Amino acid sequence: MLDIAHPDRPGEASLSADILPIRALIEAEQRDFIDRQDEIKRAGYFCAYTPPELLNAAGLRHARLFKAGDAQIVSQGEHYTQSVFCDFSKSCIGAFDRNGGDPFYLAVDKLYNFHTCASMKRASEVIEQFVPTTLFNLPRMRNEAASRRYFREEILRFRDDAAALAGRPINDDDIHAQIVLFNQARRLLKKLSELRQRGNPPLTGLDFLELVRGYFYLPPERLITLYQPLYDRLSRTPDDGARPVRLMITGSIMADGDRRLVSLIEQEIGARVVAEDHCAGLRPFVHELSESGDPFAALANGYLDQAPCARMKPLEDSLSFPTCLAQDYAVDGILYVYLKFCACYGITRQAFVNHFQDQGIPVLELSSDYSQSDHGQIKTRVEAFIEILNERRHDVDLAAPAH
Amino acid sequence: MKISDIAVDLPWRFAPDRPVVGLDIGSRGSKAVLLTTDEIHTTFVATGLYMQETADELLARLLRQTGLARQDVKFVVGTGYGRISLAYDDIPYQVVTEITCHALGAHALNPRTRTIIDIGGQDSKAIKIDPATGKVVQFVMNDKCAAGTGRFLEKAAVLLGLGLDELGPVALAATAPAQISSQCVVFAESEMISLRARGERHGDGSARANIAAGIHYASARRVKTLLGRVGTEPDLVFTGGVANNVGMRKAMEDLIGRPFAATPIDMIYAGALGAAVQAGRLASAKPAAHGAANGHAHPTHAAADHPLHHRHDLPAGIRLPERVAKPAHAVRAAAQADD
Repeated sequence: MLDIAHPDRPGEASLSADILPIRALIEAEQRDFIDRQDEIKRAGYFCAYTPPELLNAAGLRHARLFKAGDAQIVSQGEHYTQSVFCDFSKSCIGAFDRNGGDPFYLAVDKLYNFHTCASMKRASEVIEQFVPTTLFNLPRMRNEAASRRYFREEILRFRDDAAALAGRPINDDDIHAQIVLFNQARRLLKKLSELRQRGNPPLTGLDFLELVRGYFYLPPERLITLYQPLYDRLSRTPDDGARPVRLMITGSIMADGDRRLVSLIEQEIGARVVAEDHCAGLRPFVHELSESGDPFAALANGYLDQAPCARMKPLEDSLSFPTCLAQDYAVDGILYVYLKFCACYGITRQAFVNHFQDQGIPVLELSSDYSQSDHGQIKTRVEAFIEILNERRHDVDLAAPAH
Repeated sequence: MKISDIAVDLPWRFAPDRPVVGLDIGSRGSKAVLLTTDEIHTTFVATGLYMQETADELLARLLRQTGLARQDVKFVVGTGYGRISLAYDDIPYQVVTEITCHALGAHALNPRTRTIIDIGGQDSKAIKIDPATGKVVQFVMNDKCAAGTGRFLEKAAVLLGLGLDELGPVALAATAPAQISSQCVVFAESEMISLRARGERHGDGSARANIAAGIHYASARRVKTLLGRVGTEPDLVFTGGVANNVGMRKAMEDLIGRPFAATPIDMIYAGALGAAVQAGRLASAKPAAHGAANGHAHPTHAAADHPLHHRHDLPAGIRLPERVAKPAHAVRAAAQADD
């Protein structure tokens, strides 16, 4: 049933040859962020609701801080938290710890945190002891006109803060140019992802997560010059070969460094992740910002319009997006994946699972952390799920009229 | 044993045309079933350090028991915790998860099975199956924690100075089961220690029975929450090594409010039986349909439309990836088979 006779180096995520040079450039960019001796300030942010357009317009070095997966960093974070915090929020704190933290985080001059869940807000209250931090409000009621007006005000405050950090003003034309640039980058990511709608996708799920990493670490100008030729090349590859079992992952953040589930699925079991409804997957790449008019309204509207996380309201919006992805990417099954102790995804779990079952889409829920000790159990669950999906494909095949 | 003595419904649909073997390499114990056209043979060994050696020993025992030769075995299916380590040069084999195998095993013994509780050495699961086919419809497993597993009961038996086999029978003598509130083995252990200390101080002879019963109810509550996620439609079947524990059976039946269906063989063999049933199917399947032996079956590709995906209206603001032509082999997601 499953191609697991010869698992090659379990747990190690390997990338397609096309993606390896991009990984090398990301690593070089991260080294520069840490080591490069220059006067340019480093800005970090946690959440995908943060508009990097403003950081780039200010000429700052900037990166999303979403590395996690290391049990040692988690335990450093535990010095400051209770056990009910998720491992991601613990990792964020642990990585800023002066003793044994992550050099990439320690290089940050200023942290920006758009207030999403309560754990991340509390985490930033610990972190502000280590590094200057500004907290911004992010309205939950994404469709309310008042939310949009208010978020625009927060974006203005963000601009002023970023300008003060950079020591130079940010003018509206610069922001406008950045919106155009980032729209171009997001469109490319979306198009690259859509190559996975093919029967035999030219990109693996691991590859796509690496491209998303690039979006959050590389300057957009560089990203565009790298990703456009990649897209051109991949879109010319013929769509042939066997159709793999196609899975979608939906749920909480899949951090940079948290690859064990996707490597298990793709490298040990031989299925494919073709779409992901989470904030380090496809979610940030389905919206486009208006390229005309008030740039602050464009940022406020555009970011509230991105595929919502479980923390946003109404919940129906969060359910519709993965439902449409499941159809567009012709997925065989969905994995609802969330971090233990996540109050947002732990609670919306029921609504998601029931919703997908009502749609007739098989769904498996997995909750985990970064401790690695449950690898065997998770493997059994995912394999059993894929056995069920294969049986269903077989049944459908039998039911289909003969050609 | 003759299959005609154990099968609930005859004729039995699961007999292979030549001998096949199912191996269930568990975390604590390993089980094997050999099926012939009319007989079933079982054997059990403690799981060793090297899974392949354990598997070899199981197979050797079955061959001794039946007088068959190795080349008589047409197909082997391996399942359980140690399934990944299995490999044979001379016998076609395949690896299948224990979830699928427990479903097939329970279904083969009792075709009316709809819900399975499986409690093994280090995990517990609730499985809902389609009684028409024995296929898994839904399953839930416990978290990475020993509560509600055989390991927890083992630990409790040691603390009470009982053998694992005695824990269940002792619990049946309870007059007032102790309240063990903790779901965690580590904390439950300290609760047990303080309960035991109190019982001894008052010279109450039934203290041990009450604690033993309390332990079973604490485990059963844990397992019941798994059942809550898949439902409890009868027939309800209890599989896995812990199915032999009468204390656990009673606690589960009390909490669920339904009896478990009687089963004709020791249900520690349910997974191995399911593996053997699957081995029989694979042995008789045409290679074109199920892939070559010693590889792993590649499912054939579905060519059907997708009428069951309803496209919901999108809320304002969500834009979707641009449409591309549907791949011709877009798979149809069939409705849940059970309801």
